[in-house]
Amino acid sequence: MLGFMLLWQLGTSFGPLSGGSLPSAVSAVSTLGELFVLPEIWVAIGQTLFIALVGLLISVVLGIPAGVLVGLSPFAFRSLKPVLDFFKVIPPIVIIPIVILVFGPTTEMGIFLVVFANFFMLVFQSAYGVRDLDSVLLDTLKCYGMTKWEEIWYARIPGALPFIAVGVRIAVASSMIVAVVAGLIGGAPSLGQQMLLYQSSGQPNQTFAIVIIFGVLGLVLARIYAQIQRKIVFWTN
Amino acid sequence: MIKKISMNAIQSLWLPFALVAAWWVFSANSEDPFFPPLSVIWDQFVFLWVFDNVPIHVVPSLINLFSGFSIGVLIGLVGGVIIGTNQGLARYIEPSVDFIRSIPPVATVPIFIMIFGLSYEMRVAAIAFSAIFPTMLAVIQGMHSNNPTLLDTAKVFRLTPFQTLVRVRIPAAGPIIFSGIQVSLQVAFVVTIASELLGSGFGIGAFTLIATDTFMITDAWTGVILMGTLGFLVNVIFNLVERRVLRWYLASKKLS
Repeated sequence: MLGFMLLWQLGTSFGPLSGGSLPSAVSAVSTLGELFVLPEIWVAIGQTLFIALVGLLISVVLGIPAGVLVGLSPFAFRSLKPVLDFFKVIPPIVIIPIVILVFGPTTEMGIFLVVFANFFMLVFQSAYGVRDLDSVLLDTLKCYGMTKWEEIWYARIPGALPFIAVGVRIAVASSMIVAVVAGLIGGAPSLGQQMLLYQSSGQPNQTFAIVIIFGVLGLVLARIYAQIQRKIVFWTN
Repeated sequence: MIKKISMNAIQSLWLPFALVAAWWVFSANSEDPFFPPLSVIWDQFVFLWVFDNVPIHVVPSLINLFSGFSIGVLIGLVGGVIIGTNQGLARYIEPSVDFIRSIPPVATVPIFIMIFGLSYEMRVAAIAFSAIFPTMLAVIQGMHSNNPTLLDTAKVFRLTPFQTLVRVRIPAAGPIIFSGIQVSLQVAFVVTIASELLGSGFGIGAFTLIATDTFMITDAWTGVILMGTLGFLVNVIFNLVERRVLRWYLASKKLS
């Protein structure tokens, strides 16, 4: 990591990138220090996290139960699969122009985009998990005379948890990304919008410092979720 | 047999058709300026995109996408193989890679605009940069999870390290590498659109943005539908290529 910073510094001071608009490592990091005393940066970080977390929460609360229900019915799963496949690969960025028209550049717009980005993937992941059950286990349950409800509660949902956990991990990362995109392109109040402001007013150091904040936020969120995941699906490791 | 296939087709296709039909019917008398009737959007779509504006807006976007994607994947593959075969190097480089990949890819676009300005090079560079990391990490991960028996067998056959790498380690990591390349493709597509939305005169993203800014709402809808369809098609093509290249793997999975 230090070597990378050194390379960056050397590259911008003496190397091919010197004299360009790319800030050197030292100036970007010192600007980062200056930014951290500005209240609007903390407000922007808070807004970004708010969009990401509220969107994540809504998509989890809606998507996982919907996915479990879909997964329990083979007909529903087969009917919905092409629709889910379609929306799963469509990046939320393509609907931004329409979403801006409807919501305007607001926090709600950001939250909607986050939900759109995660919902279909979570439905698919939970439905797939519910269906992917060992047939020996199912037969065993039948032998013990378990009812349909007991089967769902004690076997299908726990069996789906590892799949759901993977889905939520992807959702955590993409929520953060989409919250940034919503600000950067959609103009929702957030760190992304702040970054665009710095970039368009020609402040490369600040722009770069915000990119570093993005990296740190992404890493921290991924670490926190890894801890939570270890507690919920403890039997997989 | 044929009956079974057609039953399956009906089961998996009725809902998409029903959804489009429902949209068509329910929007038919729509007065809401933001949600014009689908029939109006369709007419405009045919007027705009079959095929008058394709060379101006679609072709440049696709060329940017594919040149950026190919450059990025190539760098990712080479970098991944170098880092993946070199344990010592991996320890020094991985923290930096981990950090860079936590940055939302779209957020790097303003940086590239700062360096290159609003140019063709900026777009390709931003797309390539964001496409590097998913592929590179998949190659590293795939080579770390090589089956030890496979490596021992290669040793018994006295393959040189280079032969082992090209004939055994990389193909064995193929399925993981391909899933990484697919993520690279999806990211590259997003960055392509983002680089156009953040300022340029041509490209589907730019077209849609201008339509939105000037309240040409029907035009904006056609742009959104076109971008969504392209995003979907790019994935479909990728899956076909993957199935062809990895057919040995899919066949071996079918056997077990």
